[in-house]
Amino acid sequence: MSTLASLRRTVTKLGALIAGVVVTASCAKNAPQDTWAPKGPNAQMIDGLQKPVFAVAGVVGLIVLVALGWVLWRYKDRGQPIPEQTHGNPVVEITLTLIPALILAVIGVFTVRVIFDLAKTDDTEMVINVTGQQWWWEYDYPVQNEFGITQPIVTSGQIVFPAGTKVLLRETSRDVIHSYWIPALNGKRDAVPGRIHTLRLEADEPGIYAGQCTEFCGLSHANMRMEAIALSKEDFAKWVANQQAPYVSPADGSLAKEGEAVFLNQCVRCHQVDGLQRPDGTLAIAAPDQNVWSGAAPNLTKLMTRNTFAGAIFDMLTPACRPGVWNASSSDFGGKYLAGVSEDCLNVNDLRAWLRNAPEVKPMYANPDQLAATNGKVRGMPNLGLSESDIDKLVAYLLTLK
Amino acid sequence: MIRTGSKFFIGLAALNAATLIAYLLFVERLALGGVALSIVFAAVCGLSTVVLIVRDGDDEAQPVDAALVGASMWPLVTVLGVVLLAVGLVTTSAVFVIGIVVVLAALAEWAVQAWSESASDDPAHNAATRKRIANPIEFPVLATLGVGVVIFSFSRIMLAVSKSTGAVLFIVFGTIVLVGGSLFALRPGLKRSIVAGLCTLATLGIVAGGVASAGIGLRADLAEAATEGHYTHRECGPERSKYFDKLEMRTLSLRSNVIATVELRDGKLTARAYGIQSPTQSITIPRSNPVNVIFRNFDADEYRLVASPGKAVPDATEKPEELCTQLIPEGAEQSLTLTYAKPSIDRGPYSLFVAGLSGQSIEVVVP
Repeated sequence: MSTLASLRRTVTKLGALIAGVVVTASCAKNAPQDTWAPKGPNAQMIDGLQKPVFAVAGVVGLIVLVALGWVLWRYKDRGQPIPEQTHGNPVVEITLTLIPALILAVIGVFTVRVIFDLAKTDDTEMVINVTGQQWWWEYDYPVQNEFGITQPIVTSGQIVFPAGTKVLLRETSRDVIHSYWIPALNGKRDAVPGRIHTLRLEADEPGIYAGQCTEFCGLSHANMRMEAIALSKEDFAKWVANQQAPYVSPADGSLAKEGEAVFLNQCVRCHQVDGLQRPDGTLAIAAPDQNVWSGAAPNLTKLMTRNTFAGAIFDMLTPACRPGVWNASSSDFGGKYLAGVSEDCLNVNDLRAWLRNAPEVKPMYANPDQLAATNGKVRGMPNLGLSESDIDKLVAYLLTLK
Repeated sequence: MIRTGSKFFIGLAALNAATLIAYLLFVERLALGGVALSIVFAAVCGLSTVVLIVRDGDDEAQPVDAALVGASMWPLVTVLGVVLLAVGLVTTSAVFVIGIVVVLAALAEWAVQAWSESASDDPAHNAATRKRIANPIEFPVLATLGVGVVIFSFSRIMLAVSKSTGAVLFIVFGTIVLVGGSLFALRPGLKRSIVAGLCTLATLGIVAGGVASAGIGLRADLAEAATEGHYTHRECGPERSKYFDKLEMRTLSLRSNVIATVELRDGKLTARAYGIQSPTQSITIPRSNPVNVIFRNFDADEYRLVASPGKAVPDATEKPEELCTQLIPEGAEQSLTLTYAKPSIDRGPYSLFVAGLSGQSIEVVVP
């Protein structure tokens, strides 16, 4: 066997192996950001457009590939004389121009229609402000009495809304350009400083829908994730009521009470917990504008009603408890989500690691020697140098924020 | 054989390489200065290569019989630059920067002159070589500097004289330029020395006028406005402000980042938050993020929208400043950019209201 034939056989085998790997990888079941699995009317609109376009493009691509392959095989150099050369064929050229133009025009009509449908705002039922910053998303819910929101609710990491409701996100950014994308519910929309962009969000069924920032936004761009939580209208009302419930201070003498003191000394410089009071009775107001480059840090009120932390890169639940919520049926999901995080299910290892040295587990510009460009302000949570004892107290305290 | 000019550029390249290495080692890596030095190093290396290849541009050079070099003003200018550097170190950074520019320019000119004087033993040829290399850079730079000085001097004059005198001066100056230029064009045979002399005199006159005007200072009303901040300080009362409300904007091109539109109609103030269909008396603004609010006046009188700054911090020395639009007539609109770094529960209540119109306000909630 010649060397060339051996090489050809090796390349063919390698190609088949790569193709096999690609095909089998596309069959993954655990793919929460699958763009081909719409779970709401907006994503279905996009899906209804992209599938026919993909089919048409696939057929065209196949025709071109087959034609190219046939030409390459049919006219390969076998030592034959050069055939007669022709220069220009108006009929063929016009036909080959008109057919793609016609295909693109038809696709264009449907695409523009979908774009306009996705940009509609006049049928909005609920509004949520979404603000991106390095590297997490903040959600604030303006007062909307029809949903029981009588005072603003601020949360982060997970956006919670009622299923079957047309939600309008008003997106912006506090630092650089980010992009908001929950593939199962809609397409991408950039969050740009100084601009407000809107994005419709609607889910057919209660459940968790994963997303990811899709505009490169700095060191931890890959760690800027989000989860959309759709609840039934009844469960959403319960969630709203709980979010607006007054703050309850831990019992005197408890470890959590000591944690509250640590929180007041350390964390409240940036993190707000609504209703938290200082020992003198005054409200503890966070001042992230003085410490953080973007001017904001996650509001930790009702932290343990969320399933994630640190820009949604860590689960608040242990691997044993997480599937119970993620894989719950749509009818059971609300109850399980609203139960929040119990002590048994708390992912204490990741939470402790985060409190111990946050930049070590999520790359951020938070080291003192890297802050010259930001006037001493951090991007992300710095290493606070907490003792293990303080971390114990803080974990106990954070568990009470439900 | 490596000739004198080539030696000079190779030495310059070596010096540059040493500077670059020292900078990277002792100052800061990946800084702008390192990039600039790298570019200069590459340029000098390129020049060295060219000079080596063309053998100083003269294959027939006779260095043994070379004439003595002529007088040069560049050492003097370099010293002037060094003095400016030293003065700048103890006065202002502007002088220091000018010193850097002068030193670099003088060294570049000196280097080109030194190189050209070693090109051949013919001083005329060497001078022509220097001109061929340096003039394409010198003329545009000097022209830009000259025009800049004239414009700056003229602007000082205009700021010093009264408004009416300034208008007259502008007309006179423009007329002189137009008439003078036309006469020069109509008389192409005019001696160059006469044209150059007249232009030099005019330039010197303007520069002298500029220096004198700078000494006199701004005219009274400008000085007063600058001192009292008439154009930056907003006067937010119901009455018309002499300066802030002057030439008010009535239409708005801004349409981005609008969080809400506030309308005054029949004496009632209502807001429409973007995305929420029904009118509201309360809007929510994200914390620490600038947003725009558009104010539209549909009533007959002139009104302005005012944003309350909230409570001052007890120990703060400065009172937070009110923000407001200009006084706008019926049918006009203006925008206000608001940024609240503190939540309503801390520095609030925040609100939007119309100056002079009691009982009407929009609550601003900052979570």
